Amino acid sequence: MRLLVCLKQVWEPESLFDLQEAELRPRSPLRRKISSYDELALEEALRLKDRLPEARVTALSVGAATAVDALRRALGMGADQAVHILAPEQPTPRPATLAAWIAAWAGEQGFDLILAGGMSEDAMQGAVGPMLAAKLGLPAVTSVIKLDAGSNALEVEREMEGGRRQRLSVQLPALVTIQSGPNQPRYPTLSNLLRAKKTTPLTIEAVDLAAPLEREKVLALAPPEKRRAGLVLEGDTTQKAERLLAILRERALL
Amino acid sequence: MSAATKRLVVVAEHAQGRLAPVTWELLACARQVAPALELEITAVVLGQEPQPLAQEIARRSGVKTWAVEVEGLAHFHGEAQRLALAGLLPRLEAQVVLGAHSTSGLDWAPALATDLGAAYIPGVESVSRGADGPAFWRSAHFGKAREKLTPETWPLVLTVQPGAFEAAPPGEVGQGKVEAIRLSAPPCRTKVLELVEGAGADAGLGRAQVVVAAGRGVGEKENLELLRRVAGLFSSAALAGSRPVCDLGWLGYGQQVGLTGATVAPRLYLACGISGALQHTVGMQGSGFVVAINSDPQAAIFNLADVCVVEDLTAFLSALLEMAGG
Ligand SMILES: Cc1cc2nc3c(=O)[nH]c(=O)nc-3n(C[C@H](O)[C@H](O)[C@H](O)COP(=O)(O)OP(=O)(O)OC[C@H]3O[C@@H](n4cnc5c(N)ncnc54)[C@H](O)[C@@H]3O)c2cc1C
Ligand SMILES: Nc1ncnc2c1ncn2[C@@H]1O[C@H](COP(=O)(O)O)[C@@H](O)[C@H]1O
Repeated sequence: MRLLVCLKQVWEPESLFDLQEAELRPRSPLRRKISSYDELALEEALRLKDRLPEARVTALSVGAATAVDALRRALGMGADQAVHILAPEQPTPRPATLAAWIAAWAGEQGFDLILAGGMSEDAMQGAVGPMLAAKLGLPAVTSVIKLDAGSNALEVEREMEGGRRQRLSVQLPALVTIQSGPNQPRYPTLSNLLRAKKTTPLTIEAVDLAAPLEREKVLALAPPEKRRAGLVLEGDTTQKAERLLAILRERALL
Repeated sequence: MSAATKRLVVVAEHAQGRLAPVTWELLACARQVAPALELEITAVVLGQEPQPLAQEIARRSGVKTWAVEVEGLAHFHGEAQRLALAGLLPRLEAQVVLGAHSTSGLDWAPALATDLGAAYIPGVESVSRGADGPAFWRSAHFGKAREKLTPETWPLVLTVQPGAFEAAPPGEVGQGKVEAIRLSAPPCRTKVLELVEGAGADAGLGRAQVVVAAGRGVGEKENLELLRRVAGLFSSAALAGSRPVCDLGWLGYGQQVGLTGATVAPRLYLACGISGALQHTVGMQGSGFVVAINSDPQAAIFNLADVCVVEDLTAFLSALLEMAGG
């Protein structure tokens, strides 16, 4: 069984950002990581591999040169192969463009199962996975919290509103997007990291891949909307605690 | 040029024979989008027995509604819905298609956009009117910024963030027309085997006047004890959590607040170490008073808070407990 996992490298969510001229720039030090749902998708692929030893897991990331760090971590966690589609960081590609690039390479590889995150942590679109499936003509199931693979079918459980779930069978080849669940991503192992050091990811230039013209345009970037008063408490920890207690008492909440 | 009216088509969301509230929010969004583009607002209900729900939409919104009977579509099935819509929407002259940015909408909308060769804008939270038609705002960059988008081609598929648009007031506004369409079962490669009901929200959570909510920022399970003691300061309080805290097993899934968990509206919501992802805040934004404690001054939750405390939560809650004598 051949598995492909799509990984996006994102900034650490807790980084501080400056909004300048319609561009959001992180203040240094600039730290990056694998988007959390994608790490869970990789974990699910590796769990399948634990059960089906002949399975091979390929990790793929589209991004700037830094994306290689994400791929090295994936190899460290146990992926067998890494593919880097090198693309400039700005302007951020639209989801259909990302899907088209990935499809252009993956379409010829004969993967049995493609895994993506339910959504990227930063962009929160939930789009690249299902669009990739549609481009490749594969069935897709999103928001999957449990999966079990047989030889030519998959049984999955997907989550819906209010915690309801749905069990489905899926013909392979197929694509699933992973929602978080009790499984936590494993840590890289030393032996895998040593192997990763010696492995060079396959690099493909995005400009060499076919993609349609973008169908949407980002016109502007703005600070988030403040929907409530947002009184920021000042002072040291004790003073802030004192102030909060006073506010809660004033409002008869305490 | 065709003389046919172009349409905005709202795809109703429903489960267990009832319309999901987000359907009315989609209609509210539709009213902000359609006029500038001179589109007729319409709705579609897909299912095995769509008539009663289509009648309800037509009656309560006044819009023309198609009751689309899809053979075998007894429950939500993303692939069947996507294939049925891909065939149907061009016939309806759909220029704009609206679905919910929910677990269901996300299961069909992006793939449908690809099938239709449509522009796609997910998670729309507000609409602004420009000279060249509407533009759409959505959260991006971890909720630390908003981006404004326009389509460059048509048709356009949009998903609308649940909770972002004021739902139309209930009541009868005049009968819209209902038309029936029947479709045979689409050729699916996925099959729904079973529907499993969720455990349901913790009973105490809905009743509590104060909800103390733990996020991943709690860091360690032991720190939940601090939150428990803070809850003990109030006469009617319950502990709740964001998704990751429930995934870790520190709290039960019945205590999860958000899109795939419970919706709460206590008098006071104390968000501790929660970043403020939309899938969480949709479950608590109706709270009376919101206090957020987070070490990241730019955390999105602060935009939804009445009081913002930029602190390490263990240090802050310890100080709070000491001062309150709890
Ligand atoms: C389809 C779908 C459905 C979903 N449904 C839900 C749902 O129902 N409910 C839900 O909650 N989520 C849901 N999610 C997940 C959601 O998108 C977020 O990933 C989740 O809410 C994040 O939880 P969090 O804020 O606790 O964690 P994080 O986003 O990791 O945030 C942790 C926060 O803690 C802060 N912090 C860290 N250390 C400290 C400290 N010492 N002191 C103070 N603050 C600190 C950080 O600055 C950060 O802001 C869903 C996702 C999808 C895709
Ligand atoms: N740059 C990227 N490289 C590889 N995979 C990506 C990239 N961007 C998004 N994805 C995949 O698509 C999923 C959904 O992303 P999004 O549509 O941005 O929410 C992610 O969880 C990844 O699995």
